[in-house]
Amino acid sequence: MVSLVVLLAVWQLASVAFTARYVPGPWLTFSAMWEHLSSGEIPRHFAFTMTRMLGSFAIAMAVGTVLGTLMGLYRRGEQMLDMWVMVGLTIPSLCYIIVSFMWLGLNDRGAVLAIAWTTFPSIAINIWQGVKAIDQRLIDMARVFRSSGMRRIVKVVIPQVLPYLMAAARFGLGVVWKVTVFVEVLGGSDGVGYMLNYSFQMFNMADVFAWTIFFTIIMLGIELLILKPIETRLFSWRPDIRA
Amino acid sequence: MADIALQALSKVYRSKVQPEGLLALNRVSLAVADHQFVCLLGPSGCGKSTVLNVLSGLDQEYDGEVRVAGAVVSHDSTHPIRLGYVFQEPRLLPWLTVRGNIEFALESVGIPKGQWRERINGWLDRVGLHDFAEVHPHELSGGMQQRTSIARAFAVDPEILLMDEPFSGLDELTARSMRELLLGIWLETRKTVVFVTHNCFEACFLADRIIVFTPRPGSIKQEFTVELDRPRNYEDPRLFDMSVKVTHFVTGGRE
Ligand SMILES: Nc1ncnc2c1ncn2[C@@H]1O[C@H](COP(=O)(O)OP(=O)(O)OP(=O)(O)O)[C@@H](O)[C@H]1O
Ligand SMILES: [Mg+2]
Repeated sequence: MVSLVVLLAVWQLASVAFTARYVPGPWLTFSAMWEHLSSGEIPRHFAFTMTRMLGSFAIAMAVGTVLGTLMGLYRRGEQMLDMWVMVGLTIPSLCYIIVSFMWLGLNDRGAVLAIAWTTFPSIAINIWQGVKAIDQRLIDMARVFRSSGMRRIVKVVIPQVLPYLMAAARFGLGVVWKVTVFVEVLGGSDGVGYMLNYSFQMFNMADVFAWTIFFTIIMLGIELLILKPIETRLFSWRPDIRA
Repeated sequence: MADIALQALSKVYRSKVQPEGLLALNRVSLAVADHQFVCLLGPSGCGKSTVLNVLSGLDQEYDGEVRVAGAVVSHDSTHPIRLGYVFQEPRLLPWLTVRGNIEFALESVGIPKGQWRERINGWLDRVGLHDFAEVHPHELSGGMQQRTSIARAFAVDPEILLMDEPFSGLDELTARSMRELLLGIWLETRKTVVFVTHNCFEACFLADRIIVFTPRPGSIKQEFTVELDRPRNYEDPRLFDMSVKVTHFVTGGRE
């Protein structure tokens, strides 16, 4: 709370020092935000952005989980995919975006492909680590007690992979929201990224701040109100780590 | 009939580092009758845990024949016998409480839910963990985790009990009371027990028969029959004599 007050104060000072043209103060920014909120502009573009984000996040999670699992389970899969996932991670996301747009056109399908493509390698790597870290001895324990294959998966394997799955999801979401805005700047006709670019063209700094801060607040909200509580619930059994 | 028959059991571990393989067990033949309490005694690395893994059906890549209750232990069929296995490590699911861990085994084995509470509380009482039912494994000491694993193995009411150095991580006082507990239960229920240890005194106190293994590759070097009456007593001088005899053999035979 204190840090928030300090932040606002510093922001206001910076605005005075550099003039509102370059650093619009909190008042200006939030009134711009309010204006676009009440005009329905923010909700509308935000809905476009969220749809793209969630669609490509779902695709990236699905592809990343399948690949990561294959890599973790089979040595052949690991040998085949290891290299390519590294290559996939190395290629700049801009290349995926351009290629996707050239294949599918400057439309939603191209955007979703670009975002998912950029995101899935890091998800695959997280899941791969998780699958490799599975403790076979616990599975053996379950087998001795005649646990069925299904129960072993649900009660012994998945709980072990879950922390990695959560990490993959959070990390993936972070990548997705950055890339989505980027994609919209490059080839969108709507969405938060498009509006940011539009404000930039108009050199309307207050709008740039307004869109950015609104988006950040929402993403923080998702993190703090959805992901964090899930994680706390799932992993409450874990001991605190002291270094 | 929960009997066990090993016929010329050999086990080779293959790995990338040793493509030609490492011979862990060399033609072990052993018959354990129903209701018998047998101890496997031998130095570290001689293949005792390997024998239990084969018996439990976890390890099915071996040479020779393994029959449990007359049936060949094989890939495609479930194990012919309801087993209780106390592993060398506790092997508890860290995200479940002590109660949750035992429930997992009870549910897997197919014990009706109505019996869980009574069974779990009963066994936790006996291993001295009644106050820790709702606690997660990482909040327990190593010995307490091991006792949880023992309670889990007993709670499923096994026909054959496999125990891999279950008391070696406990202090001597706790180990003693656990041995007495084990013998008490065994006298009541007369399960077939295969118990791995490197402690000669423990073997003499518990077993009907002691099978002494050679160092790796493990094979049977000697068998002792323990003729002491039950219930056994720690102060029994014949137990002490027997233990001296076995210890002498085990240490003397090592050169
Ligand atoms: N998974 C494995 N892969 C390769 N070699 C193994 C494996 N498990 C055991 N071995 C080898 O087999 C031999 C027997 O191992 P095992 O665990 O059965 O010994 P043990 O008699 O139980 O020893 P300890 O008393 O130390 O527990 C060991 O020498 C070890 O090198
Ligand atoms: Mg062992």
